[in-house]
Amino acid sequence: MPSTENQGSSSPFMSFGRSILSIRREQVHSMEANHDPNTQESEIELFLQLISKRFHDLSVVSADELLSLAWMRKLLDAFICCHEEFRVILLNNKVQVCKPPLERLVAEFFDRCLKALDICNATRDGIEKIRQWEKQLEIVLSAMDSRQRTMGEGQFRRARKALMDLAIAMLDEKETGSIFSHRNRSFGRHQSSKDQRHHLPGHSRSLSWSVSRSWSAAKQLQSIANNLVPPRGNDISATNGLAVPVFAMSYVLMFVLWALVAAIPCQDRGLQIHCSVPRHFSWGAPFILLQERIMEESKKRERRNSSGLLKEINQMERCASHMTDLVDSIHFPLTDELKTEAGQQVQEVTLLCEALKNGLDPLERQVREVFRKIMNGRTEGLEFLGSVNKPE
Amino acid sequence: MEKPPPEKSGSFSGHNVESHPPESHAEGELEDRENAKESSSISDSALPQVSQDIDRFLSYLALHEDKSNPPEVPDSVDVFCKLVEAMIGNYDSGDSSARFGRVPEDDTAFVESVGRISKLMNALRGFPVQSPAGAMYGRSGSVLQRAMSFLEDELRTLLEDSRSQISDSKSLKTKHPSFNSKEDHDRCPLPESESTGDDEYPAYPPDVVASMKKVAMAMISAGYETECCQVFSILRRNAFKEAVNKLGFDSISIDDVQKMHWETLEGEIATWIKVVKHCSHILFPGERRFAESVFEDYPAIFSSQFSNLARAAVIHFLNFAEAVAMTKRSAEKLFKFLDMYESLRDLVPTISSPTSDDNGHELKSETMTAGSRLGEAAVSIFCDLENSIKSDVSKTPVPSGAVHPLTRYTMNYLKYACEYKDTLEEVFQQHKKIERTDEAGSDVDERSSQNNAQPPVKQTPFSTQLIAVMDLLDSNLDTKSKLYKDMSLRNIFLMNNGRYILQKIKGSSEIHEVMGDTWCRRRSSDLRQYHKNYQRETWSKVLQCLRDEGLQVNGKVNKPVLKERFKTFNTLFDEIHKTQSTWVVSDEQLQSELRVSISAVMIPAYRSFLARFSQYLDSGRQTEKYVKYQPDDIETSIDELFDGNPTSMTRKRT
Repeated sequence: MPSTENQGSSSPFMSFGRSILSIRREQVHSMEANHDPNTQESEIELFLQLISKRFHDLSVVSADELLSLAWMRKLLDAFICCHEEFRVILLNNKVQVCKPPLERLVAEFFDRCLKALDICNATRDGIEKIRQWEKQLEIVLSAMDSRQRTMGEGQFRRARKALMDLAIAMLDEKETGSIFSHRNRSFGRHQSSKDQRHHLPGHSRSLSWSVSRSWSAAKQLQSIANNLVPPRGNDISATNGLAVPVFAMSYVLMFVLWALVAAIPCQDRGLQIHCSVPRHFSWGAPFILLQERIMEESKKRERRNSSGLLKEINQMERCASHMTDLVDSIHFPLTDELKTEAGQQVQEVTLLCEALKNGLDPLERQVREVFRKIMNGRTEGLEFLGSVNKPE
Repeated sequence: MEKPPPEKSGSFSGHNVESHPPESHAEGELEDRENAKESSSISDSALPQVSQDIDRFLSYLALHEDKSNPPEVPDSVDVFCKLVEAMIGNYDSGDSSARFGRVPEDDTAFVESVGRISKLMNALRGFPVQSPAGAMYGRSGSVLQRAMSFLEDELRTLLEDSRSQISDSKSLKTKHPSFNSKEDHDRCPLPESESTGDDEYPAYPPDVVASMKKVAMAMISAGYETECCQVFSILRRNAFKEAVNKLGFDSISIDDVQKMHWETLEGEIATWIKVVKHCSHILFPGERRFAESVFEDYPAIFSSQFSNLARAAVIHFLNFAEAVAMTKRSAEKLFKFLDMYESLRDLVPTISSPTSDDNGHELKSETMTAGSRLGEAAVSIFCDLENSIKSDVSKTPVPSGAVHPLTRYTMNYLKYACEYKDTLEEVFQQHKKIERTDEAGSDVDERSSQNNAQPPVKQTPFSTQLIAVMDLLDSNLDTKSKLYKDMSLRNIFLMNNGRYILQKIKGSSEIHEVMGDTWCRRRSSDLRQYHKNYQRETWSKVLQCLRDEGLQVNGKVNKPVLKERFKTFNTLFDEIHKTQSTWVVSDEQLQSELRVSISAVMIPAYRSFLARFSQYLDSGRQTEKYVKYQPDDIETSIDELFDGNPTSMTRKRT
């Protein structure tokens, strides 16, 4: 075992210089600390650069691309990639990781991981919801198949019915996932859903499986963000700098889940979480930019009440509303103008359906992969944290 | 995707009273039936003729390829559209006897007519809008849409109505006759038979299923597949969720699972197991059967319907399983983990089939992954037994040489674990990657084949682990035995523990099978050795007193020596009795074996010693003083050994 001389190094009163020195000494003395401090530093540096690069790339996309399915997948991909690197850093520095204060910081990271898993599962349900909405659009498409040169009243009525069901389904979701989360809404909700059913017997709402009624994505996010503060100088020095990647990874975790909740319908969404922004770190810049852009997006008028900021949901709402207007305004026989417009609308819906069909399954798989990675990383980490503390 | 509904060459199948012998109808039913026919008289009167006209027109259209030159449209087309609208109106009239599902013949006629409308619409597509054919295209499309909308609602009602029947089996019985069409008394002799609903989940009567099938077919062949599937899947999902919730299943977040006390979590696990088993045995097979019968002619739809439902449900079961597998591992969790593992393993075949789509395959592999996570946890918990044995290093010997708590704990744990032997073998195969056979495994193998003329016990990763645990326990006990300064007590301790272990192993055929006869024989011979050692340690000194040697000098008995011998014997025997009656041998057979073997040596020796030498003592006071015990007393005293009884012999002897 390495010397225990510096067990008090987590003490906040420890002077900065001394702890660095003693840590160095400890490293030299430690037989297991075969990890060269220089490689360690460059390892940390590379990791932070990786985060910076990946999220920079994500932050400079066009407004159209931001929060699209493709972008979400890139986001998760960035997470998986950073997480993997982080895992390696932990493995390479087992000795350090198992000692205070890093031990505590890493344990806190794993706690956050645990909370993240629930969000992954909730998101998975949200993706299923979008899939259900997409089915309604498919009906619109089969009603108004662009290959049909003539469209009759029946087809329009079919499309209108599907659009109405879609509107209700999305409205339903807005209530459960309202960004302006208000508690005790069950009363109002019951009433309204009964009303809806009454007016529109055609609709059957699908019950949500995933989480208990009281579960809240906003609360869960907040509990991940709680106490997520940049490490203090003496913690950084006492951990030989390793406190920084642990913080960075925790921040990435929190941020990615926040973006996921922002984009995908889930129970009691909320984007207003309190968390310190890593302004003082060079890798923090893209996050600040992204956070601003996403918040801005959420404040846009047409999005303020949305059930998810996912670009495709926005498109869905837009398509549905245009289509509804169109269908409502139609008189027979159709004018050529209306026909053309209908054709354009159908074209738009077709593209959207394609995007959803091709994007949702891979996104869900990726959410699953994120889940796996987080879980495995945690299990692995706790194993070696535990094995060191166990008496042999 | 479009598949025409089954047609009987245009004939009106409503007249075809399929397989329902007329004598089975009670009079009242026949009357009802007449009424029903009356109400659908339009169809009866005009429909067959008009249908024939439409079919002729359809065959004409099939040859008419020039879309710019629209054909004349016969009047029958408009009549036909009106007829179909009238049929819908009739169904919707609010007259309950006219509802869909009451008169199967009418339903069939309706469904066939809808199919005809759909064909008509397709055949009329593309003609100029202003032409009569173009106008009729629009008209038929509207009628079709109305019919589809109606059928969608019907499907929903059929699915919903029957669902509410399940929750109240009483009302199922009473409402049943009126709910179904009349013919069903012979088709469905249910109301009386005590079907708990469990055996027939979902409890839709066959005629309702038949109606659903008709609706589904009509919708799918008219291109309304998505609508049909959406209604079906949402309602079945909700019904399924309700059924599962009724069993007590509720989603718990992973976060909460980690915070739960084990006792609470154990309860949740029990519920989960109940739910998953119920799903494997009843719910999933039921849903599969049901979806299969509704979508009988559409295997792709059936299979995606089922796998979507299964997926929606199963991923939530898996969330819980994964949450549990993530909890802190500890010995008492092993058995629940294995139970969960088994439940998931048995779930797999019920949710997948060789014909499953990608969705189904993915679900299967997710289920297996979650299962293997539990398996992995189980392996690590079981292997942790090694650590808990290693870490048991108490320095205080168990008083009286009794069975050590560690022995009891380990053996009982192993015995219980071995009730899951096959499952443990399975998870060890998956997770314990031969790492042990490199070290311990290979030499265990050697050892068992060396000492064994029989075929060696087959080494599996689990049996290797089990043997490792046993070896570890042995060596731990060996160390613990050294805590006893008294060699005799040390042997008693070893005997007690060894005996306990052996009895447990013999009592569990599973462990016995793993450890093998050779191992047991070796342990038995160890036990005999301890026994011998004990005899020697305790009793050889006593026997020394009863030797002939040294007593006689020149053929004469040396009295002082004799007296000394008796005195020493008495002291030694008293001492042994006093100490060893406080020792514990809880195994009765072992206790009696020990006593018998001691008696077998001591009594004859003492008896003959007494017989030969007591005469040299003066009778009376001297004899009383030196011959403290008669042989019978010795036997009684020996029978008091190993009783764990601290009382002195005096009290016992009185």
